[in-house]
Amino acid sequence: MPSAKKGGLGEEDDLSESKSAVQHGFFETGFGKSIARNWALCFLILMTMVFSLTSRGFFDIVNFQNILHLSTGSFLLAVAETLVVITGGIDLSIGYVYGLASVLGAKVMQVLSVAGLPTVSVVLLGCCAAVVASLLPGFVNGIVITRFKVPSFIATMGMWGICNGVTLFLSDGFMPVMGAPEIINKIGNGFVFYIDPGKSVSFFQKPSYIADTNIRQLIRLFPNSLFLTLVVLLVVSFVMRRTAFGRHTYAIGGSMDAAVRSGINVNRHLVVIYTISSFLAGIAGLFNLFQTGIGNYTPSGANYELMAVAAVVIGGASLTGGKGRILGTAVGVLVLAVLENGLQIMGVSAFYRYIGVGILLVIAVVIDRAFPDLF
Amino acid sequence: MKGDSGSRPITKAFSNGGIGYLLGSSWVVLFIFLEIIVFSLASGAFFSMETVQLILFNGTEVFLLAIAELFVIITGGIDLSVGFVMGFATVVASKSIVALSNVGLSPLLSILLGAVLTILVGLLPGLINGWLVAYLRVPAFIATFAMLGVSHGVSELLTQGIPTKNMPSLAGDIGNGSLLYIPPSGVWSFFSRPQVQRGQHVWEIIPNMAVFSFIFIGIFAFVLKRTRFGRHLYAIGGNMDAAIRSGINVRHELVKTYIISSFFASLAGITYVMKYITGKPDAGANMVLEAIAAVVIGGASMAGGSGSVGRTILGALIIAILETGLRIIGLQTFTTYVLVGVILIMAVIIDQSFPSLKR
Repeated sequence: MPSAKKGGLGEEDDLSESKSAVQHGFFETGFGKSIARNWALCFLILMTMVFSLTSRGFFDIVNFQNILHLSTGSFLLAVAETLVVITGGIDLSIGYVYGLASVLGAKVMQVLSVAGLPTVSVVLLGCCAAVVASLLPGFVNGIVITRFKVPSFIATMGMWGICNGVTLFLSDGFMPVMGAPEIINKIGNGFVFYIDPGKSVSFFQKPSYIADTNIRQLIRLFPNSLFLTLVVLLVVSFVMRRTAFGRHTYAIGGSMDAAVRSGINVNRHLVVIYTISSFLAGIAGLFNLFQTGIGNYTPSGANYELMAVAAVVIGGASLTGGKGRILGTAVGVLVLAVLENGLQIMGVSAFYRYIGVGILLVIAVVIDRAFPDLF
Repeated sequence: MKGDSGSRPITKAFSNGGIGYLLGSSWVVLFIFLEIIVFSLASGAFFSMETVQLILFNGTEVFLLAIAELFVIITGGIDLSVGFVMGFATVVASKSIVALSNVGLSPLLSILLGAVLTILVGLLPGLINGWLVAYLRVPAFIATFAMLGVSHGVSELLTQGIPTKNMPSLAGDIGNGSLLYIPPSGVWSFFSRPQVQRGQHVWEIIPNMAVFSFIFIGIFAFVLKRTRFGRHLYAIGGNMDAAIRSGINVRHELVKTYIISSFFASLAGITYVMKYITGKPDAGANMVLEAIAAVVIGGASMAGGSGSVGRTILGALIIAILETGLRIIGLQTFTTYVLVGVILIMAVIIDQSFPSLKR
């Protein structure tokens, strides 16, 4: 990775005056250190407060649920990217695996429902097809990276092109794939709790006496998507923190040589990591299908994979590997999501978001570089 | 992840020399021949002078962006922003040309001034990238991705979602014209199409924009190969520590490198504006893959320290021939993406298999 070289530049004494210049006073204290370490979280809280004060409608449970609901895909993609980044690699293919899973799932559902299968089996088979297909790019990435020693950047960039092409093929150019059963929309956009104040509480389904047009008088809590996000975040976080698999992942990213010497089967481990990454991207794509009801290709210039890398870096991981937390990444995703949502509600053009993300990224790395001993 | 797959037995037989060595070292050229043969067999229309012009015409942006990427990759970095800096340049160029001609300047003058302005503005992203990478020690991947976002945002704000319209028609004439026209009468004319009777065929040799870009590519090939600055880039990419210790001002050279990168991205933007007489933010969105692929197919290592302009152009030619050929035989764009992805991975595997072929 190119970034490994930049680390070398940092070791040079005469080049690192800027580092020592910042490192005194406030940030030496325990409180200061924890602020610097969790700057993304502090920034998130600060941003939430500012948006709450400046824009009407931001500080609202409906809006907060909306933010979480809409960033489900980003959460899953960023978790996928975190795993790969911790090993010291990068996965550029996840954005298009995401699109591939969405389009393939929709296509299979479309074909099967035309063939007249019952809805349940249409949905299940579509999901299976999408999930199985999403394992393949990651597996191939892993094999190419470990057996043929292709840098992860190149291997996954090649896969980026391949998945992009296959997705375009499946969706006939840029047409969204329609015709999936409507039930998936209800699942994807549903909530766990529906509360009619003072009358009833029901789970997963709105009470039948309320018409679709009056749905706003219900209090809807805890979107299904949040459930998915939490499960993924907690499971992966647990695996990374508490299991041998997680420790091996950090070991590989910290020092490949040391990992090999300590008897970790690095090649097999990396194949598994890239496959999981691709799998999570596939789940994200499938969820996108459940959310929108149509199979969406990944638009050119959407850069989902780069947004995921951005969230990972803002969350405190380092592209040189060996460092990063799943929950940190979750904060990174939230920073980007709240920024987008807040700017939208303020009526600021969405394009400022791109600029904002760019600036945040640089701040993240500069802070990371300024406090090398903190992390 | 540096590989030493040379220890594997199959490849050892090849790297000992002889025919295998030759195949491994010049596979890019062989592959170009293979492409030409396959496309010629697939379609009778492929093997012609017009196709050569078409390949050069379609490939101009990829050539320029690949050179942009090459300079950065030689130093061991990466520039993800070239595609959107190109888009930014198309917006700046088209907007400024339209504005200048609205003020009342002649079309030619407004195009020239617009192009110069674009190049000047286009140096800015590179300057910032270089500053971030060299002075703030932000990894190139992050710094240039941040710049990708910023240049995308700024160009969307400039266009407000509407591609530029009302460019002077002269721009299209220049952008779609050719260097040399040979009518049946045999009297050559440069830059302007001679008047001939209907139905008579005029040979058009080398699109203007290809000439335009190869002038700059030639200059920078010289800079890379023959100047002290060029040698410094290889030194920085080969071993940053050694470069610092040997007294190279690494920071300055890195800033220059990123400026050159965004300079070439701006040139690509200008050629795009001249060819398609419009400017839009996502003009180069998907071209980053092709640019990096061209450099890597051309044998450069992502770890830095290797790569050359000539080989990069060969790599870009592979992609340009592929794209144009597939279009001629009637396959859709998506096959290009798949094949570029496959060739990119194959290129690295082949290069890994012949570790003795250090360029």
